[in-house]
Amino acid sequence: MDDDQIMLDPSSNLGLFVRRCLLSFNLLPFEGVCHLLTNIGAYCKESFSSCPYELSHIEDCANEAESSMEYENMELESLVFDKVSKEFEAQKKANDSFAFHNHAPKAIIGFIEESDISSGSKVKEFDRLREGSSCIPSSSYSQRIIDPQVGSFLRTNWQIQGNLLDQADAIERHGSSFSLNAFESILKQLQKLAPELHRVHFLRYLNSLHHDDYPVALENLHRYFDYSAGTEGIDFGPPSSGCNSFGRYEVALLCLGMMHFHFGHPKQALEVLTEAVRVSQQHSDDACLAYTLAAICNLLSEVGISRMTGIIGSACSSVVNMRTSLSIQQQLFVLLRRSLKRAEGLKLKRLVASNHVAMAKFELTHVQRPLSYFGPKGPMKLRTCPINVCKELRLSSRLIHEFCDESSIMNTDGLLCTMWLKNLKKPIGSVIFSQENESRRNLDTFQFCSQPNSLPGSVVQLLGTSALVRATAWEIYGSASLARISTLAFAACFADSSSSADAALAYAKLIQHLAVFKGHKEAFAALKIAEEKFLCVSKSRVHLVKLQLLHERALHRGDLKFAQRICNEFGALASSVSGVDMELKTEASLRHARTLLAANQFNQAAAVTNSLFGMCYKYNMQVENATVLLLLAEIHKRSGNAALGIPYALASLSFCQSFNLDLLKASATLTLADLWLSLGSNHSKRALALLHSAFPMILGHGGLELSARAYITETKCYLADPSFSVSEDPEVVLEPLKRASEALELLEYHELAVEAFYFLAIVYDKLGYLEEREKAAALFKVHIMALENPEEKEDSLSTML
Amino acid sequence: MASKETCRQELRTAIRQLSDRCLYSASRWAAEQLVGIEQDPAKYTPSHTRFQRGSSSIRRRFRTDGAGDAAAAFNSTPVAGVSFISTPLASEEENDAVESDFYLLAKSYFDCREYRRAAHVLREQTSKKAVFLRCYALYLAGEKRKEEETMELEGPLGKSDAVNKELISLERELSGLRKCGTIDSFCLFLYGLVLKEKGNEGLARVVLVESVNNYPWNWSAWSELQSLCTTVEILNGLHLVNHWMKDFFLANAYQELRLHNESLAKYEYIQGTFSFSNYVQAQIAKAQYSLREFEQVEVIFEELLRNDPHRVEDMDMYSNVLYAKECFSALSYLAHRVFLTDKYRPESCCIIGNYYSLKGQHEKSVMYFRRALKLNKNYLSAWTLMGHEYVEMKNTPAAVDAYRRAVDINPCDYRAWYGLGQTYEMMGMPFYALHYFKKSVFLQPNDSRLWIAMAQCYKSEELHMPEEAIKCFKRAVNCNDREAIALHQLAKLHRELDRFEEAAFYYKKDLERMEAEEREGPNMVEALSFLARYCKDQKRFEEAEVYCTRLLDYTGPEKEEAKSLLRGIRSARDVELFPP
Repeated sequence: MDDDQIMLDPSSNLGLFVRRCLLSFNLLPFEGVCHLLTNIGAYCKESFSSCPYELSHIEDCANEAESSMEYENMELESLVFDKVSKEFEAQKKANDSFAFHNHAPKAIIGFIEESDISSGSKVKEFDRLREGSSCIPSSSYSQRIIDPQVGSFLRTNWQIQGNLLDQADAIERHGSSFSLNAFESILKQLQKLAPELHRVHFLRYLNSLHHDDYPVALENLHRYFDYSAGTEGIDFGPPSSGCNSFGRYEVALLCLGMMHFHFGHPKQALEVLTEAVRVSQQHSDDACLAYTLAAICNLLSEVGISRMTGIIGSACSSVVNMRTSLSIQQQLFVLLRRSLKRAEGLKLKRLVASNHVAMAKFELTHVQRPLSYFGPKGPMKLRTCPINVCKELRLSSRLIHEFCDESSIMNTDGLLCTMWLKNLKKPIGSVIFSQENESRRNLDTFQFCSQPNSLPGSVVQLLGTSALVRATAWEIYGSASLARISTLAFAACFADSSSSADAALAYAKLIQHLAVFKGHKEAFAALKIAEEKFLCVSKSRVHLVKLQLLHERALHRGDLKFAQRICNEFGALASSVSGVDMELKTEASLRHARTLLAANQFNQAAAVTNSLFGMCYKYNMQVENATVLLLLAEIHKRSGNAALGIPYALASLSFCQSFNLDLLKASATLTLADLWLSLGSNHSKRALALLHSAFPMILGHGGLELSARAYITETKCYLADPSFSVSEDPEVVLEPLKRASEALELLEYHELAVEAFYFLAIVYDKLGYLEEREKAAALFKVHIMALENPEEKEDSLSTML
Repeated sequence: MASKETCRQELRTAIRQLSDRCLYSASRWAAEQLVGIEQDPAKYTPSHTRFQRGSSSIRRRFRTDGAGDAAAAFNSTPVAGVSFISTPLASEEENDAVESDFYLLAKSYFDCREYRRAAHVLREQTSKKAVFLRCYALYLAGEKRKEEETMELEGPLGKSDAVNKELISLERELSGLRKCGTIDSFCLFLYGLVLKEKGNEGLARVVLVESVNNYPWNWSAWSELQSLCTTVEILNGLHLVNHWMKDFFLANAYQELRLHNESLAKYEYIQGTFSFSNYVQAQIAKAQYSLREFEQVEVIFEELLRNDPHRVEDMDMYSNVLYAKECFSALSYLAHRVFLTDKYRPESCCIIGNYYSLKGQHEKSVMYFRRALKLNKNYLSAWTLMGHEYVEMKNTPAAVDAYRRAVDINPCDYRAWYGLGQTYEMMGMPFYALHYFKKSVFLQPNDSRLWIAMAQCYKSEELHMPEEAIKCFKRAVNCNDREAIALHQLAKLHRELDRFEEAAFYYKKDLERMEAEEREGPNMVEALSFLARYCKDQKRFEEAEVYCTRLLDYTGPEKEEAKSLLRGIRSARDVELFPP
């Protein structure tokens, strides 16, 4: 064929492609032509046999439907032909020195794309099921899915590498929602066909890792690094020190350490990471060293337990190089600083950003003490610094600007086919938050195709994490609305590229917010949506939120048996190893104590809370301690020992102050006011003053329950005040009582509602509004009946478990 | 086992039938066993039997006699044996002349390696023999094409997706035959082969068992069956009819399952009948090699070489032994001989590789191992040995790669796992290496070297886990640690951990051992000086004195120390005897 016979613009994508096809066809050896011929022949045989009436209908194309079907078939055929020739293009490409994959012999790989596509379609179908709505695949795409037997598509090495990277991304993002066996079988096939693609082993490792298959994961990890010598896999930004002749086995150690961490073997993880530090120091692989340090930080902060000191003392001494008398938090802090400095020095932007995030997380809950702290005489500055947290978070989000700046350099090389493949996959990728904005999504797809996004997915993901940490920070500091805004910002901007764990966390936060501000009904409605989106396996965020909601609701409605059941469920979720899953354990025993309290078993509740305090103290969880102390104060209040409760409330207050937990502080103030009030009516002025000091915070950021409680306490203060008379200024008490009763009805909080309606009835009675009095009394009766027979109104929710 | 005469008769018939069906390697094996059967002393004069164990030349002569005998037996009708299965008679083989003419033509084509032509000639034939040969020829044609395609598609060291295109049609035909019951044991063997290649191992096993139960003399079927028995449970689950061939099979299977002692026992039993079989001798050598009895292996191979100087099979193992014993001249002799016999056999390349390695020319050695792998890419020991060479050349990534390939071919190769561990340990990654040592120790729990390697890892400066190291050393001691490293290390570790009682125990043991083996050296001095001091501290003065006086035989600082110790002992004794 001559060049002028091609009716294509030679410089267009398609023209370029066709020219390369021609070129590589001309370069084919005789055997290559033979194989091409047999492949085409085999394909034709198969496709004709699947469509037996084709030949008879070629003559009379009267039937529309048949002819269109034929047309589709032909189109497919040509597509296959393209693919086949593309294979040889790849061969040529591989002959060009290709840094990505230099030790592969030849690039001819008959990769049976059909299986790959079906995996893609599986993921897609999965998503589709979750969503209940389809996301319109392109027509050729669906055709291929319908007809998986036809045609073995051939891909270049390069494309498969790209595809594998994508898949790795997807696995890391969606975790266990991937089907283990389906993907595994594809990988096995791929491995059989292309043994020099070592990345397959890495994917098998990832796959088994996310399905908690320890032996297989271990085996594949070792195999991958044995073959690739660590030089192929992980892209560590710029290969600064480069691949020396020794290979980069420290990367293997790093991965192994992270694997042990994932499987909950902190001791082994620390051993391996220590070795990684040593080896990367030896080989002066600074990048790996920085990553390893970051991993150790992560390990320490997650597993930050007092028992670690033993390990650190022996094994980590070379890493930490400091006195073992330092607490684990201090070691962690020093390590974080060291890692951050190293990352900054090496200009590993992603690592810098993630270090900043880690730092922010650390500062959120930890008091910074001076490192040389001996005994009580040392300078004490027991405060967290919100400013520092903000600073770290800001520093971490600066990353996006840096990446925007260098986006032009990022993909200069015409990764045409890879881009094309990626774009093909984009619409079926992470479809998480797309239900609300289906139409926008489709639009987005086109934008993606026309204008490839220059930000790498990992960067966006990191930014998303930082937004979430920001939300958590606001939550802890007590600004509900800002927390909500941050979460919404995350959902709007980063949901597409975030990991499913992050997305689930965001959902959980939003649902909790709804529960606190809008009542249970709306929260459960939202939960239902979330449950459809995320796999509700045990320990997942969504599952936790469900349990939390159910427990709160059961407590409010006085269904204590059910509440206790959920408590037990909580306790069972946590691992039995001491020092692991601390958050879950704290929450479980907190809820247990609250249930006991609701059942008026004060002694037991106090015992549980006390032991919880001991545990929190032991593991240095000060933020939780503030809550625990408040609960103790509450228990004493309810048991009638107001005088005993006051010190606890004060202690909690001081904790809140030093950790900047403003909302909790307001709540503690409320409890304190309650306590003063119950000491006698002569303290009502003091209680009222306390309450009013907390009111701005409570009304601004507190939820329904908190504000209702505040209103009731306020009323009680007024009513207890002997100088106050109802008839003079009825609105002062009526208004708060009305608001409280509204909120409590929303929450179905019978116990408090009873109280509110009781006061309301009394006030109306005093004022002589008989009709309103009767109404309030009737509602009082309803609630008290509901409180006494909680099981009667059994509904669908209790079967949700 | 059946009587020797029966075996002989059965084998004679079987050889004819096997080679008639072009199953050459099976018939070769059978022939080897046939001449390996010991002659009955009652039938022959005592002078004959006396010479039987004599020099090889005499035996050669004797053997030609035997062969002639066998040739004579060919013409007579085979006698029905007393074993469980009677010798199959050549009943159906005399069909009409035309058919047998076609068969002859096909067989000649087959012998000239023109497989498709052979299959074509037999396309219309329906006799069982013809059907088998046609299918077999097709199978081999497919295999040949597969090999060529592998070469076309890729470099020889990688895997490839080339498949035998005939498998599907063969499977269809053979399964049809099996269903209607008109399948003979040879076709069953082929069916099993096809099934195995297609990955249907369960059915393949069943079919092969059927085949060997019907016709036990086809060694190829047995070895295919053996390769499908990957665990002891599978092996024990097979329903095999009793026959003396089953003993060969079991011995081989035990060996592959690393039950070396059982395998050795079986072979020794077989040797009762087949006392001159080279095959059995080589297998015994293999088992001994796995048990690390190098001396015996060497003796056996020397005799084998005398009897069969052009043997290449299994000789790579001999070269390994020679390498381990550093017998330069013998290895060089062996290398030259196999080079002249057949240069392009993987075994020869491996032997030459070993030869160069021993000479310290590692590059050349790697080249020969590569050549061996080119000839047979699944050649396990070549991968492992190449790994060793790369380690010597300090090319760790290449070594790791080579070892890993060996392990992927056969995950039971403890040597490759050990090599991987060693390589990683060399790179200063002891914790990472532990994974591999654990693997190798799991596969070969009775090898003290592996335990010692693992213990050294635990002991290393970086890890410093002495408790684990002690456990490993203890295992090594129990595994008959030849170099006696473990005892010394145990004593040392205990001393470092301030457990003097245990330390003294192990020092004493080490001392006893050194005395028994008449070894001297720094270890001896160390043990003596520790024991002397320990006994003195324990107030066992007499014992202490003995150790001190022994220490006096050595020069160096220890001598002075012993002197002062002696003085101390005396004064302490005086105090004891005459308390102030």
